[in-house]
Order: sequence, then C-alpha cells, then structure tokens
Amino acid sequence: MRIIRTLFGEIEKLIMVEIKIKHLVLKRSYWLFSMLTAIGTLSALAHPMPNSMVLLNVHEKHISGEIMLPLGELQSAIGMSVNDHSERLVERLGDSLRMYLRQHIRPRSFEGKPWTITLGEMNVIETKNELTGDYKELIVQFEMAPPEHYDLRNFYFDYDVILHQVASHKVLLNVRQDWERGLVKEDTTTQQVGVIEWDIVNGKLNPFQVSLQQGSVWKGFQNMVSLGISHIAEGTDHMLFLLTLLLPAMLTAENKRWGKFAGFKTGLLNLLKIVTAFTIGHSLTLLLGSVQWLHFPSKPIEVLIAVTILVSAFHAFRPLYPKREVFIAGGFGLIHGLAFAETLTNLQLSDKQMILSILGFNVGIELMQLFLILLVFPVLLLLSKTRYYTFVRQAGAIVMMLLALAWMMERIQEKPNFITELIA
Amino acid sequence: MKAFAFYGVILLPVLGLFSSQNENGTTSKIAPVSVDCVKEKGPAKIVCLAEAFKATLNAEQTAQLQLEYTKSNAAKWSNFPEFRPTRVGIRLGLLNSTQLAAAKALLSVVFSHESEHEGFGEMEGNLAADDFFGQHTNNTKLFSSGNFFIAFLGKPSTTDLWELQYGGHHFAFANTYKGGKIIGATPSFRGVEPSAFEWNGKKIQPLEQEKEAFAALLSELKEEEKTTAKLRFTFNDLLLGPNQDGKFPVEKQGIKAGNLSGTQQKQVKKAIELYVRDLDTETANEFMKKYLAELPDTYVSYAGSGTMNQVSDYIRIDGPSIWIEYSVQPSRNFPGTTHPHSVWRDRKSDYGGN
Repeated sequence: MRIIRTLFGEIEKLIMVEIKIKHLVLKRSYWLFSMLTAIGTLSALAHPMPNSMVLLNVHEKHISGEIMLPLGELQSAIGMSVNDHSERLVERLGDSLRMYLRQHIRPRSFEGKPWTITLGEMNVIETKNELTGDYKELIVQFEMAPPEHYDLRNFYFDYDVILHQVASHKVLLNVRQDWERGLVKEDTTTQQVGVIEWDIVNGKLNPFQVSLQQGSVWKGFQNMVSLGISHIAEGTDHMLFLLTLLLPAMLTAENKRWGKFAGFKTGLLNLLKIVTAFTIGHSLTLLLGSVQWLHFPSKPIEVLIAVTILVSAFHAFRPLYPKREVFIAGGFGLIHGLAFAETLTNLQLSDKQMILSILGFNVGIELMQLFLILLVFPVLLLLSKTRYYTFVRQAGAIVMMLLALAWMMERIQEKPNFITELIA
Repeated sequence: MKAFAFYGVILLPVLGLFSSQNENGTTSKIAPVSVDCVKEKGPAKIVCLAEAFKATLNAEQTAQLQLEYTKSNAAKWSNFPEFRPTRVGIRLGLLNSTQLAAAKALLSVVFSHESEHEGFGEMEGNLAADDFFGQHTNNTKLFSSGNFFIAFLGKPSTTDLWELQYGGHHFAFANTYKGGKIIGATPSFRGVEPSAFEWNGKKIQPLEQEKEAFAALLSELKEEEKTTAKLRFTFNDLLLGPNQDGKFPVEKQGIKAGNLSGTQQKQVKKAIELYVRDLDTETANEFMKKYLAELPDTYVSYAGSGTMNQVSDYIRIDGPSIWIEYSVQPSRNFPGTTHPHSVWRDRKSDYGGN
C-alpha cells in the first residue's frame, strides 16, 4: 500500500500550474482574456515532460472527472499512430479507445467491490506550451460511482492507462471540485491527491489508494458565501456598476438635468430602493438560471452587462429615466443574475447542494454589496451637498461610459483592448 | 587557509590576463594554474583551486557559492533549464572574466583532457550547446552558458566532508570529498541538445561517442542475447533522473555481462569508461577498478530499436555499484533530430554515500 500524500517533487508542482492554466483557457471564456497575458508568463514554468492528469469532481454520491492523455505517450503505449495521425481521432478510433480505457480504469472499494464507470465525451485538444512545445492531448470525460452503501471517499483507483506499457510515465491525480470540503472556486485551482507511477524499487505498479478527507454541508455552504463575496469583490464590472447606479441617487432630476441634493431621507430611501430592486432582480435570475429553467449563452449576457453599465453611466450624466430607477435597477439585476448563475450551473451539484449553493452565493453577494454601500454612502452624502459634486458625478459617468464601451468591445471581439488591460 | 586566499587575490587577476574569452564565455582558454596549486595533487589541488576561486569573489557572491553541506542542497540538481530557481550556487553568468577563469581552472582539474569530446571538452561542449540553443530559439535568457551553477557544499577541505556541485541544462555533476579523498562522483547527468553542431568553426558532439558505444554494444549481441536483454516496457525518459535518489530497483534486469563474450564485455567496459573517464585520470582509475571488478555481475538491458537513434530508444547498465541510463528524446527545436538524456549513478556512492 502506498502513502496517499505522496511528497511531490518540485517538478510535479510545476505541472499543476500548467494544468491550471490549461483549464482557464478551456473553461473560462473571453471576459477573462486579460488573464491570458498572465498565462503567457506562467506557462514558461511548465515541465518539459508530458504527464497524464486526472481531475476529480467529488459529488454527493458519485465522482465525475476528466482525464488528459498526451497523445505522444498514448502512442508509445498503444500504437495506432494516435499522435502521428490525430485528425478525426475520436471519430475513427473512439470505440477502440473506449474499450482500452475501460480495461485500464478499474476503481473498486477497499473490500474489492468494483465501482461503475461511464465514459463520456472525448476530444483532442492542442496544448500550447512554451517549453515542451505544443502537444496534443486526448481529453476524456468520465463518471464513476461506488455500489450503494460503499464509501465514496476511500477507494482503490486501479488505473494504468499508458502506465501498463510506459514505465517512465506519470499520472497526476487531482481533485478539482469537492463541494462538501469547500473546494468550489471560480478559478480552477486543483488540490493534489498524488501521483500514480511505477514503484521503481520493486518494479511494481500498485493500485492507487485514494483517501479523501470528509467534508460537511456547513463547510460547503460557508464556501459558497465566500465565493459570492469574492465574485463581487473581484468583478470590477459589478463593483463599478453598483457605484454608477448610486452616483445620482442623492439628487433630484429637474428639466432633464440633475439638480440639487434631494435631502438625507429621500436620498437614503432612493438608494435603498435601487439596491433592493437590483438584489431582487439578480436573485430571481440566479435561482432560475442555476436550476437551469432559464439558460442563455454567456457571451450575449456579458455583452448585455456592459450595456447596462453604459446606460447607467449615461443616466448618471443626464437623467434618462428619472423616478423609474427602481424598475431599471430591477431589470438590470435580472441580467446580472444570469451571469452569477453561470458560476453555479456547471458544478453538477445535487439538489440539496444546489439550493444551499444558491442561498450561500446570494448571501455572499449581498454581504459584499452591503459593505460597498456602507463604504460609499457617507462619501456620496457629503459630496453631493457640495458644488463639486456635479464635476465628480459627470467625470465618474464619463469614465464609466468609456469603460463600458471598452468591455463591450472586448466581449464582442473576444480579445482584450488597452483599456480593459489597464484596469485588469 | 589565509595564505591560499592571499595568493589567490594576488595571482588570479594576473591569471585573468592570460585567459582569452569570447563574449559567450564558453570557449575560454584555461588559465594557467596558479603557482601555489601546482605543488598540490589530487583532491588537495582541487581544494587549493576551489579556495583560489572563492577568493576572487566578493562577499555577496561568496555567500551564493559557499553553502552548508546538507542532503537537501546536494539533491538540488536537475537536467532541466533553470526556468525557475531549482539549483543552488552561483550562476556563471554573474562572474567577471577573472572569476570565470578561476572557476574554469577549478573545473579543468576535475575533468579529464584525454579526448576532444570527453571530459572537460564534453562539459565545454554542453555549455556551447546551450548558447547555440538560446540563439536558435531566441531565448538566450533561459538558455545560455551563463545559466550554469557552481556551488561548494561544505567548506573545501582536505579533512572534512564537502561537495563540489556543478550543473545547468542537461548537465550535472556532484563530486563529494572527505578526508582528502573523493568518496563519490555521482549523480552525474549528461545530456545535450542539439546533439551535434558547429560552434565557432568547431564540431561539437559531447555525447555522440556514448551513443555509438551503446549502439555498438547492442549490435554485438546475438539474437537470443538481445531477447534476454530486452525490457518489456517503454521508456520515454530516464527512471532515475533528478529527485529520484536512492530508488534503484531491487532486481536487476537484462543480460548479465558475465555471460557475454570477451569482445562484448569490452564494449560494456568502453561504454562505462565514456562516463567515468570524463573525470581526471586518478579519480577515474579508482572508479573503473571497482566497476571492472564487478563487471561479471553487471547487467545490460534495453528498450526500443537498439540503434540508439530513434525516439524512446533506451539502454541501462546496472551493476552491484554502477547505474547508467541513456534515453533518446525527441527534439522539439531541431525537428527530425533526437537528443540524449543520460545519468551515471552509483548504488553505493551517490553523494559519497550520504
């Protein structure tokens, strides 16, 4: 039996970085393009030896995951020119590959009871890497589950894909998601479980023993709250949108222009109404989007969010819809909620976990919004009484319009521009 | 001790004048050895030159060069380029010409000078290869002869334990001394990319000789001997590269050299010599004596085509003490060519047995 917490060599750590990057590119879409510059620098850290990687998502009763097999190494193991002729690989050799994979992935309980295993979608991707060169990988989705009443977190992962033939090969086993242990993040940090490799000393390949820590519902919920907080804290567009909504909240509109300070009570009330409407709006679509009663592709939603910022910024400059701010804020909330839901939809959570996640995520968002308002309100209150406020509001509105346009461009063109790079 | 340092200060700037050095710092002529070290021999001479080199450095540089002897420092070698801090010691690129000449004077006595492409020539060839690689890939920041490191683990001494560690991309050696004797010359990594090229009008091929010796050894084997020697598995890299210390297989695989003919055994000996005889003659003789005595119990195994010029070709020499692995790698930046990774280890005296 081997010790699970294999001491990773320095090199393995580097591969983690590489994998993390790979997933950012794969999973996140265009609005994260500003991160691509960072990715460029990070990939220089990668290791020149292509290893396999198995990523696990631990659910309530099953484990889903993704296997990444470098085609060069796979060809060493099974031939069939999988690397030399990788065009339409899945289409041509899908069945043989599936059969091969089934023979070499055999999870079982400590008592020897075999788990069920289902292979999902397979596709070939090109992995860009400055040091190893670009290499091709076969990505395989899979799901596995123990027989009923058997432990999900402690089992033998008897896995020798490629390893049955290539003695120098290594397989990095990582957990990407484990709701009950609070491992649900927006980036794709993974937690290492170990390395499946030959025991060189004894010339053996032992079944890998997986022992994952227990989690809890409370820990899962807490994590969703902090995810909600960081979603707002790190989302520059949401933060600035909120500020833009609040810029004219203290004022009264007179003849299509912003007039004087509306008074403490009216101002505060306005502000609370706007924030509440926005919250109701995004809570509603977050709920509907997360349970997938509503689904929109993320690109138009991200563009629409930029539009809401543009419109709000214009309104902060010159009143577009005075007295109807509450409805507009509510409507805009609906749009923003759909983007929040995007975070939760791909997690494959059980109903219980999903409900707790929506709740926790929303609580986190509200906490962060509240914090922001408490921070900004006194400043707005003081400033809006002075004669400088017109300047502050107009300058702020113009800056926001520019930013909104830049975001819109970025999200339509799917590539960053100098403004979005500046604030990233 | 102080006297050495004193002479070092006086002598080395003078030595600097003798050394002609090109911009890349790769093909510097070896400076004449300082007068005071000429009298010394063997490890004492190495200590003397080590101290002389150290005396050329300023305090900050000395702190980088001179470290404690610890297992963890000793294990900090790699065959990979320094794309993140992996190695310890001072970067050759941080040395001025005088200091570099002193470092090379030290390395010069550690290696042999018997053949153009072996010993000191092999080490210099590997440095040139990294400059060539850097220019070819337009990445001289990562790949250059300046990106090699030299470290003293423990104070150079003719009584106490210390290690002279040197390495960079595709190269590493670890000479461990104690009581004025060498007690370990491994782990020692040899690789190069590209495997053969022209540099300043000279042919550079640090590991072609090794490759040819292995190919010749395998071609000397009869069919049934080849079958015995062939490994069941595929090896796309070395098993016992960096961070794989002390993991020697309990069971030896392949064909026993004791069962081979005299001619075949000579080929095994020749291949071993191409690693061991990189070191100065005295040290090499000592290790060869041991390895030859153990030759009958030494095994040869291989995987791949046996020609040693195809990707995934692999050979291993595994004896009671000696361990050599050689693996043929694809070459990304020089399409259509291959490049070698190889390691010489010793089951008993890696890191001097520490």
